[in-house]
Amino acid sequence: MAIPHFLVVGAGIVGAACVRELARAGNRVTVIDSGPGAGLQGGTAAGMGHVVVNEGDTDTLRLCLRGRELWRSDAPPMSERDSYWETGTLWIAEDEETLLQLEGAQKKLESVGVVAERIDGRQLIKLEPALAPDLAGGLRVPHDGVIYAPTAAREFLNASPKVTCHYGVSVKNIGDGIVELTDGRNFEGEAVIVATGISVLSILGEAGARLAEKVSLYPREGHLAITARGTRILDHHIVEAGYQKAAHSTSQAGSKAGSVACAILPRQTDQLCLGSSRRPGEPGPVDPNMMMRVIDRCERFVPSVKTLPILRTWTGARAATSDGKPLLGPVPGLQRTWIAAGFEGLGITQAPAAAELIRQRIMGESCTLDPWPWDPARPYKDSSALTKQENDHA
Amino acid sequence: MRDSICIHVDGATLRVESHQTVTSALMRSGISAVRKSPSGESRGALCAMGSCHECRATVNGVRGVRTCLVNVEEGMTIEREQPVLRTSMGVSAVHETKSFETDVAVIGSGPAGLAAACAAAELGKTVTIIDESPGPGGRIWSHRGSPPVEARPWIERARIAGGQRLQGYSVIDGKPRELKVASVKDGTRHRVLCSSIVIATGARERFLPFPGWTLPGVVGAGALQSLIKGGLPVSGLRLVVAGTGPLLLAVAKLAVSEGATVVVVEQASFADRSALAIPLLLSPSRWRPARELWNSLRGVEMYTSSWVTSARGQQHVQEVSIRTPQGIKTLEVDGLAVGYGLIPESRVAAGLGCEIDEDGFVRVDEHQQTRVPGVLCAGESTGIAGSESALDEGLVAGIVSAGRNPRSRLLARVRRHRFWGQAIEKAHPLRDEVLQLAGAEDVVCRCEDVRAGEITGCVSRREARLIHRWGMGHCQGRVCEGSSMCAALEGSDSVRPPWTVAPPEARIETSR
Repeated sequence: MAIPHFLVVGAGIVGAACVRELARAGNRVTVIDSGPGAGLQGGTAAGMGHVVVNEGDTDTLRLCLRGRELWRSDAPPMSERDSYWETGTLWIAEDEETLLQLEGAQKKLESVGVVAERIDGRQLIKLEPALAPDLAGGLRVPHDGVIYAPTAAREFLNASPKVTCHYGVSVKNIGDGIVELTDGRNFEGEAVIVATGISVLSILGEAGARLAEKVSLYPREGHLAITARGTRILDHHIVEAGYQKAAHSTSQAGSKAGSVACAILPRQTDQLCLGSSRRPGEPGPVDPNMMMRVIDRCERFVPSVKTLPILRTWTGARAATSDGKPLLGPVPGLQRTWIAAGFEGLGITQAPAAAELIRQRIMGESCTLDPWPWDPARPYKDSSALTKQENDHA
Repeated sequence: MRDSICIHVDGATLRVESHQTVTSALMRSGISAVRKSPSGESRGALCAMGSCHECRATVNGVRGVRTCLVNVEEGMTIEREQPVLRTSMGVSAVHETKSFETDVAVIGSGPAGLAAACAAAELGKTVTIIDESPGPGGRIWSHRGSPPVEARPWIERARIAGGQRLQGYSVIDGKPRELKVASVKDGTRHRVLCSSIVIATGARERFLPFPGWTLPGVVGAGALQSLIKGGLPVSGLRLVVAGTGPLLLAVAKLAVSEGATVVVVEQASFADRSALAIPLLLSPSRWRPARELWNSLRGVEMYTSSWVTSARGQQHVQEVSIRTPQGIKTLEVDGLAVGYGLIPESRVAAGLGCEIDEDGFVRVDEHQQTRVPGVLCAGESTGIAGSESALDEGLVAGIVSAGRNPRSRLLARVRRHRFWGQAIEKAHPLRDEVLQLAGAEDVVCRCEDVRAGEITGCVSRREARLIHRWGMGHCQGRVCEGSSMCAALEGSDSVRPPWTVAPPEARIETSR
């Protein structure tokens, strides 16, 4: 019997994780990517690399948690510099009101089994002496961490048998189980998984256009900076508690100016990654004013940030969906073409869980997580239909 | 006037002469290793002109100061290894940012920059010169005390013409009518608002990696020249000056006149270099300097078609192997200077959106205008052709930036210089052997300690950067960009702020 053959379009962190899942289940996999190699484009290349069980609804928390579990237990072999490093996330509240929100967040996290401990203002300074002395308190999520995503994507592929990669090629059209390249080559497989981030709907032809009427996928630009080596004055990933609030304010009117929130991630290279901003649109050149706003915001929480030399700055974009949830599942109207995109800044955290879910659904296995909140057909169905399918599945 | 002053290095007090760079003062005191690389190797100055960032240290409490760009001062503290403080206390306020308004901003004060500044100022424009070094003159006219004879009239002319001078500042960001500059000494940021910009950032040395090139005491050829001019004594030292190009001879001449014993190792063949005879014959103004140079090198041991294959030593270079047509020779040395010609410094131009050609040169028209309105470029960043050419191009750029038309005689001269530059380039083609000296274990990216073996099989520059961290350190690829391994990679990297890594804006005041 012939070995089943699958196609994965997009070798970012999500696509690469899917490749590994399918390949180690014994399938043959062909990878197609427009870049010069795996993990060198999009959010995988530009992202901070944090693995966080975020705020958000229960489904999102579960997907993050499963992703984090898999990063901790099942990451591909990597050098110490690039592999999962459990920094923990320290959510910081500037004032009492935000601290109250953190209490709510803690309850939610605990309800899905995530360890999270509250830290008062004084303990905060003991834990991280570089934090500003006037902060109200925080919430520590100890098992969160950081992964170097470009290497992780590459090693997902290297660790997989029976994988063929085609880099530097562009896709002309994707049909049902078929990928046509602009150079005239065609590939056919049991299934195609499309994980190209922001461009995912536009390269899916008619089916993509139909889906785009129901769910839109849009880029949210972010600005990041990295400090020189020898500047790691923090052990935790520091995020201000208003991060989510700031993130969602961009979807409101008059958001062209964008929003900023402090997010500082230590790297194993003895550097700090400073973020972050959110603004609708594709990533453009670095905007010095936006960059300054980001660094000023970081300075509010870590005053000595301005005493550290900045080595590089860059921009990237997160692919956001209109309902704030990734698209994970078959493309409505097609049987053999699947989609895995729209993770909006949580792609690295969720990639292993998303890939596991895709594999389980394709191979007809029982799913570790409820797949329906992410199903791309969700806007077509009413909630009762969804519940029914869910029960069938269980 | 040179005074004896005290500086403090890692807590120890050193008595040094004033009016020299920190790098030079440290080397004179026998300190060639200034920092540790990520894998713990000792490193010291390589380029001595602010490109490589290998000489950086904490100076007066400011992290990441390039010691080759800063002069020693009484009571200065220099710390080679300084761990960061995990505290939020005592963070000093960010220095006040000032705005300078000017008609023409000139970036670089070498021959091209000085000439542009003179021309524009004499035509009534207000001019601001921005330059990283402690004094005017650029690399070629680097000096200690009084400037070289060729430079004096220009420095004097620029002084008389007036204008602002931001000496000791790097351009770190900007757009056509606004530049952001940062002090190399303390990170202070200022803005320069201008109607036009003349980029005269010149060139830097091409470094090719070989076993041992990261040892302290191995410097660029031009770097040795600058260090000697800056006051580094070489009397009685055994030096090897290697690489390619006419610069080697000039460096050897200087070192010999200062009392060093010099061996010159030129990779180009005698046949290649004799191709220079015809352009030289056609250029009478170069006859006398050429003869003088030749005479001064009598008695210098010289090898052509030869190159350095490796350097060895404990903490400092002690032994050099060279391949000559007669076989491998091993020499005991006190220092090694290696430079394989020049490559353009076009990062500011790229940051401003100017068109850069495939060899890294800034594309300009006959009036030195780039394709970005109001941004001009003159000197070696548009083509390597020497200081005479840089002066004339600078004049053209200065005249054009003042809204005038340069005379056709001047423009014709610029064209002739270009021809000479190309002839020099042709006479010193790089041979394949020198491009492939680094073994798998040798460092190719000095900032991040990336070894040649790690990038074997790497296809794109993006992959080299993101996966292997090549070019992700302080120099931002300025050193490794000249190597063949880098040239073989596909794609290019965009220039984004900071165009040069500057010291931070603020610092933590300790109880010092």
